[in-house]
Amino acid sequence: MPDISVTIGMQQAWLLPAMPVVAFLIISFFRKLLPREGDFLAIIGMLGILLVTLFIIIDFQGFFHDGEFHPGEANVYAFDWVRISADNFLFLIEFSTYIDAISVVMLIAISIVGLMVAIYSMGYMQGEDRYGWYFAVLSLFVAAMLLLVTSGSLVWMYLAWEGVGLASYLLIGHYWERQSAAEAAKKAFITTRIGDVGLLIGIILLWKATGSFDIQTIIAAATSGQIGETYLTIAMLALFAGAVGKSAQFPLHVWLPDAMEGPTPASALIHAATMVVAGVYLIARFSPVYEVVLVARDVILYTGLLTAFLAATMGLVTSDIKRVLAFSTISQLGFMFVALGVGAVGAAMFHVLTHAFFKALLFLGSGSVIHATGRQEVEYLGGLRHKQPVTAATFIIGSLALAGIPIFAGFWSKDEILHAVSGYASPFVYIVLAGTALLTAIYTTRLVLLTFFGSPRDRSAFDHAHESPSSMTGPLLLLGLLATVSGFFVFDAVGELFGFSGGIGYLVYLHHPHAFHIDWAFASIATVSSLTGVIIGWVYWHGGAERAIKARTWSPDLHALLVNRYYLDELYQGIVNKVVLGLAGIVAWFDKKIINETGVDGGAQFIGYFGYRLKFLQTGKIPNYALGIATGILVLSVMVLARA
Amino acid sequence: MTDIFGQTLNLNYVLLLPEIVLLIFSMLVIGIDAFKRQLNISGNVPVGLALAGLVVALTLSILQVNMDEDFARLIQVDSFTSFFRILFIAITLVLIVGSHEYIEKSVSHVGEFYGLLLLATVGAMLMASARELLTAYLAIELLSFSLYIAVSLARSDRRSGEASLKYVLLGGVASASLLYGLSMIYGVTGATQYHEISAVLSAGDTGLTTPLLLGLVLIIVGLGFKASAVPFHMWTPDAYEGAPIPVTAFLSATSKAATIALFLRWFGGPLLPIASDWQFILSGVAVATMVVGNLVALQQVNIKRLLAYSSIGQMGYMLMAIVAVGSGFGSDATSAVLVHLAGYIITNLLVFISVTHFFNQTGQEEITSFKGLAQSNPYLALMITAGLFSLAGMPLLVGFFTKFILFQAVVSAGHLGLVTVAVVASTVSLYYYLMVVRQMYLYEPEDGTEQWRLSLTGYVTTLALFVSLVVFGLWGTPLYAAADAAAAGMF
Repeated sequence: MPDISVTIGMQQAWLLPAMPVVAFLIISFFRKLLPREGDFLAIIGMLGILLVTLFIIIDFQGFFHDGEFHPGEANVYAFDWVRISADNFLFLIEFSTYIDAISVVMLIAISIVGLMVAIYSMGYMQGEDRYGWYFAVLSLFVAAMLLLVTSGSLVWMYLAWEGVGLASYLLIGHYWERQSAAEAAKKAFITTRIGDVGLLIGIILLWKATGSFDIQTIIAAATSGQIGETYLTIAMLALFAGAVGKSAQFPLHVWLPDAMEGPTPASALIHAATMVVAGVYLIARFSPVYEVVLVARDVILYTGLLTAFLAATMGLVTSDIKRVLAFSTISQLGFMFVALGVGAVGAAMFHVLTHAFFKALLFLGSGSVIHATGRQEVEYLGGLRHKQPVTAATFIIGSLALAGIPIFAGFWSKDEILHAVSGYASPFVYIVLAGTALLTAIYTTRLVLLTFFGSPRDRSAFDHAHESPSSMTGPLLLLGLLATVSGFFVFDAVGELFGFSGGIGYLVYLHHPHAFHIDWAFASIATVSSLTGVIIGWVYWHGGAERAIKARTWSPDLHALLVNRYYLDELYQGIVNKVVLGLAGIVAWFDKKIINETGVDGGAQFIGYFGYRLKFLQTGKIPNYALGIATGILVLSVMVLARA
Repeated sequence: MTDIFGQTLNLNYVLLLPEIVLLIFSMLVIGIDAFKRQLNISGNVPVGLALAGLVVALTLSILQVNMDEDFARLIQVDSFTSFFRILFIAITLVLIVGSHEYIEKSVSHVGEFYGLLLLATVGAMLMASARELLTAYLAIELLSFSLYIAVSLARSDRRSGEASLKYVLLGGVASASLLYGLSMIYGVTGATQYHEISAVLSAGDTGLTTPLLLGLVLIIVGLGFKASAVPFHMWTPDAYEGAPIPVTAFLSATSKAATIALFLRWFGGPLLPIASDWQFILSGVAVATMVVGNLVALQQVNIKRLLAYSSIGQMGYMLMAIVAVGSGFGSDATSAVLVHLAGYIITNLLVFISVTHFFNQTGQEEITSFKGLAQSNPYLALMITAGLFSLAGMPLLVGFFTKFILFQAVVSAGHLGLVTVAVVASTVSLYYYLMVVRQMYLYEPEDGTEQWRLSLTGYVTTLALFVSLVVFGLWGTPLYAAADAAAAGMF
């Protein structure tokens, strides 16, 4: 391996967040002065990230022996951020980076998709207001996301966790003139905050128990039984609450469909490929601890399972092309949590990787459609394959990957998850998950048919449509390639080609990595089920989708239930209106009358009155001042002598 | 080593080089200014010389950072001394760079002014480094006399002369009290060397309780005057209001810090063995100072008087920490005081230099004259706001970090009651700091107020101070490490 890894390697992982932070600062302060509002700085930042990631991977292989990751000092870089020590007290927060296989998978996804999205955005956002600001926030997001996955300290990880939330909020609300965008941004921020509070509580609990914020120290303490089981279970469930919020799992999934108000490339990066898998990363990072608290792991399993199924059913009836993809993201995240829930960290991270590529591809493809037609409801699309051949072809590749059709990336990773589930949990879990995979194939086929096939339903939009510029189709083609081939990484031979003595199971540290072999019987069941889904989709939605429209009459209630997303948004809004606002009214009254008017105002008047009286001691006359000193001497002398 | 009067003394003059350099340059500045017409030299020479002297002295002080040696048993050059040397020189440097336009414009006798600032800096440095009572006393007087004159140098402001007169007369009273107190200590212990006093006092009962206690009271009164402790604070608002603004800044930064240095040297050194005798006096004084300073500040309409009372309040927090020094956690409490002092000085300099530039532009110093500054000069409004928020102890700014360390140290030493008062007092302080912020942001500027900019040096100094405000607020470890090392030198 080249020697450059000596100078840039895992120790220099802090460079990753540093580069986009610099880009963010320069663009946000000087975008008015820079050519093209500084978008090239964001691109340069992303290129730098990709380069450093490559060096880190090269360095990383040195710690990889016999299919296992052997952490050494070299993968840690640290300095004291806050150190307060005293005779009886030590409070230490380090800034540290820690790189292992899990972070490497995240780094690959973030760096490639980040670069693709940045390039794509140059075409998509061209000529819009706040063009530079968009790139600034995009850089801020990437910085926070990279800090999140490289931080060795829970405090910095939490800061980054909130940082990606902030960037997400800013990007969802990028078109804040639109009421719905402003509302969606608020909803996303508040909903994820609910989970974040859990995460914070978890961090504090773990710190109380171990006295450290260092993730590896905490894991070591927890797995060696230094923390009581109940306590640890509560702490790990609190961490999972953070993951539920960020990764849009039931019951906090409601923000993600609305988050589609943001610019589409931002959705591709944040709400498909990277930020929403932060929760998966968090659980994977703490997977050795979840091995110890199996109750918490079961909670993860069933949360993921329920989410995967519910989201897939909602995806069946949604008309907004981006929201269908949003529901599919929620559903796929559910798959990942199911994998984590059965302890298959490798399968989960593998799905993170392939999902990042094919889902980013689908989002960017939908962006290309929206860019060309100005429409995003499938009722107004159709037939676009004639106008946008590249977009259509790559979108179909992404869909095949999502549906789990063999050779495409999603097939391999989904197969790994199903395989892990079949070997671990009850058949019920396997059946529901396989059924969800079938649903996935159906709604994906529906989306492709309604968008690119059939006859156009909005003539004027269709007539104005055109293929997108090469800055947009380029990333589509590259991601299309990755969505096709990234699944091959599962083969040992491919892994060896990249310098790892094994496939993804070896890349991601597992206690008992299994050598990959295709279980033909298993794979054929999965394939048949996926193909069945595609056929069902074709039957119902091809042409004018007559069968599908007729199908609504089977059970109008069921259809309404799905369209209204199980009425969960209404339920939450009701809770907010009745319970939260009602309670807030009482608190507000107490605050206004008792605290403010009596306590604070009264106290302030009291204090102000004293200040007013004391002011008159200050006469401006020297003898009075000297008298003050003399009185002081006298009083103090009497005090000390009386005491003696 | 040289033998003088039968004593072996270390006369290594290298140890005093920073002070010597500053003295030479102060004489040069004053001398050249006196003959500037005859010599036909440009007006920039005095300020250039003053800055050159400061830079040389700063370099020398930095080179001596790791020293631990005494000069003739009068001066101790240790890490504590180095901390304050660097701090004091840096304060004067920043003040001169940040407000030289004001000095050229609104100060009479510019050359003497610079010379006096350098002399006062030397006095402050010696206060921190003395290891003997009389040397310390002379250092106080060097600082005080320079400032008595400097206060009177505001051109065409009649309050300046009045302020100077009040300051010098009351300063005389305090000085007499201090000297009397020192003589009592000498009478009881028979020594002026700190370590000898400490040895005598820790040896046990001297049999002379009354003079010892009276001596303590008189010393606390004398130092309390310099520190603006209540009830010896009354000169402060008047002197602050009348003095040229850079001198006010100097009074609130160097003069206060030097007094605190002396408090630490004395009460953490020779007087530590009788801590139980002075702790309750200082507690009372600290509480009175925190309460009165912060309450009266609420009623002020002049920004300089407001800052005067605010600095009185701030001194209360530091005196509270001196009490903690006596409780057996000397090193921790000392380093906490040093951290807070450094943070307080960075913040105070930012506020004062910003106010100086405001005065330069508008010629006004009423709080209401800051009306609408957020529109006429948003940069300066942000600087002042950041400074005031840091003084109030808002998170993310250095004031929060240092106050947290300070309060934490006092709590660890077991003085929860004092900290309770301090926390309430800082809550009150937020109100009067916000009075200024409210004027800047919530009111429209007077009609016809135009947008204006600072000078280049104004931008450079305020921005540097602002950046340190934020950086140390987010990452206080370097500050903490420096203070820890300095405190370790003393114990």
